[in-house]
Amino acid sequence: MALVEIRNLTKCFRKGDETITPLDNVDLDIESGQFVALMGASGTGKSTLLNLLAGIDRADQGSINVAGTEITRLSRSRLADWRAANLGYIFQTQNLIPVLTAYENVELPLLLLPLSGAERRKRVEVALEAVGLTDRVDHYPRQLSGGQEQRVGIARAIVAHPAIIVADEPTGSLDATTSEQIQVLLGRLNRELGMTMLMVTHDQQVASIGTRCLRLDRGRIIEATPKRHGRQEQPHAMAR
Amino acid sequence: MFRFTPYVIKSLWRRRARTLLTVSGAAVALLVFCFVGSVQEGLRRLTEDEHAQRTLIVFQENRFCPTSSRLPHDYADRIRTVPGVADVVPVLVWTNNCRAILDAIVFNGLPVGKLRSARDLQLTSGDWTEFAGRHDAALVGRTVARRHNLAMGEQFSIGEISVRVAGVFESAVPAEENLIYTDLPFLQYTPGMNAAGLVTQHEVHLTDDAEPEAVARAIDQALKAGPVATTTRRKGAFQASVLSDLVDLIGFAHWLGYACVALVLSLVATTTVMSVQDRIREHAVLQTLGLRPARIFRLVIAESLLMCVFGGVLGTIAALALIASGGMAIGAEGVTIAFRPSWQLGAMGIAVSLAVGVLAAIVPAFQAARTQIVSALRNA
Ligand SMILES: Nc1ncnc2c1ncn2[C@@H]1O[C@H](COP(=O)(O)OP(=O)(O)OP(=O)(O)O)[C@@H](O)[C@H]1O
Ligand SMILES: [Mg+2]
Repeated sequence: MALVEIRNLTKCFRKGDETITPLDNVDLDIESGQFVALMGASGTGKSTLLNLLAGIDRADQGSINVAGTEITRLSRSRLADWRAANLGYIFQTQNLIPVLTAYENVELPLLLLPLSGAERRKRVEVALEAVGLTDRVDHYPRQLSGGQEQRVGIARAIVAHPAIIVADEPTGSLDATTSEQIQVLLGRLNRELGMTMLMVTHDQQVASIGTRCLRLDRGRIIEATPKRHGRQEQPHAMAR
Repeated sequence: MFRFTPYVIKSLWRRRARTLLTVSGAAVALLVFCFVGSVQEGLRRLTEDEHAQRTLIVFQENRFCPTSSRLPHDYADRIRTVPGVADVVPVLVWTNNCRAILDAIVFNGLPVGKLRSARDLQLTSGDWTEFAGRHDAALVGRTVARRHNLAMGEQFSIGEISVRVAGVFESAVPAEENLIYTDLPFLQYTPGMNAAGLVTQHEVHLTDDAEPEAVARAIDQALKAGPVATTTRRKGAFQASVLSDLVDLIGFAHWLGYACVALVLSLVATTTVMSVQDRIREHAVLQTLGLRPARIFRLVIAESLLMCVFGGVLGTIAALALIASGGMAIGAEGVTIAFRPSWQLGAMGIAVSLAVGVLAAIVPAFQAARTQIVSALRNA
């Protein structure tokens, strides 16, 4: 059984009498340890899919099963608890709490888990080490560069050892060099720590760090993993 | 819950100008609120005390200011014969002003022997023999002494009266501490008083089983034949009627106190609404990290509560300190209202701050908790 099983997922938005259906009966499986890059034209519903998987938005129809938990059926509070324990979310920008230091920002998700102070400290240090920011622990977000800020955000997303990490255009607002560094970092986290990831991106090069590439087009998901990886899978069954 | 305390405090500190303005607003409002509360407390003590309920005051009919009530001294003998009367204390009252003023000075002349038995006074300086030994000796209430810087042995004059301070006293009845006691004959024979053989009022102490209203009627009946008609009331009712102008004013001030509370409420609510609106995205990020909506609700409440309680405690302490420093005594017609800091007042100030802190934040906290994460992240 796959780590993530999405079945018949539908989401539509109503604006007046017009209805947009970015996700129309989508099916998708993500295996544990995969690094999935999700591409597609603007407005095709990539963020919508990612937010549904992250449990911060509600589907109109269908199911999302993550590691045995059917998250579409959870109440708001239970869903929050689920996110605290199972989800790492990497935002595009402005994702840190401005009044907290880098260290405190990374520690934040751990405050929701039953961990001792010593254990929290150890985990925060490991996470900051992993993103290479051990020398910036006492800095506030305004004292960090865009790339550093993003790395703190990544440390915060991995610190609670979540089952899955989602990232919505994590390099979208960074310059080329910084973007490169973040890509390398994400690739390493997947390879070395075995983290399962779903990343939305517009950039073919960024997508190439993934182990699998998907394309969202008119409400359907298409496998687009280049042949050179040798892991080409059958095009996904696309239900209507 | 307390794991997020640093976050709450840092959030308040980040907007410190706004926080400090809100805190000082709350402090000032609570200061006024407690002050008004203490005036009311003083008034209530004056009219509702056990002592005020079980003591009668015989006054000249249709007179209010002590300078205009003149009763024969020897009415005391006739009153003493009325059933239910345990003791009668003739009192001559002199005040510097009959209207409602902030700095009322009130002399009460009582027979020396009666003063000791009828009043529960503890001398903090001086002694009773000194008081009994000199005819112009005066015992000064602690509040008056502090206000006018009077100490043992000093000479003190006001109007025609000139006395020597034989002691300073404190009393379990706060209003007593606004009085100056002298021997009755001394005050009666003070030039200008023209009060030889006269007193302002007779204070009647009742036997345990006496019914105050019935005894009051019997006294007025018994004195009907005398040269001066009387009105006898419980001390509480008497004081309330003497202070009736002030009672209205205090009733009005009471609303002022509530207005202050309403003001803090809207001040803190405004600050909280602004802080929630500033942080729509931040709250959405926190929810994404896994904070439950109920937790967001509590965090917003905690911020408001902290500001309100901090300001409220400051204001309450300032009010109590101000009252304790004894700057004034509101009085009219020889009756004064004592301000006194009390635990009830402090507890009241803090309880009000707590309630306002929670009330002010309920709506914004609810809004913050209900924020739809995705739209908040998109729009910010
Ligand atoms: N709250 C909403 N109300 C109405 N329409 C919405 C809402 N949210 C998203 N949409 C629409 O749903 C579609 C998918 O949006 P989504 O943000 O998922 O696209 P995307 O693929 O992430 O685009 P981009 O690459 O530009 O980020 C868009 O057409 C958008 O206009
Ligand atoms: Mg998007």
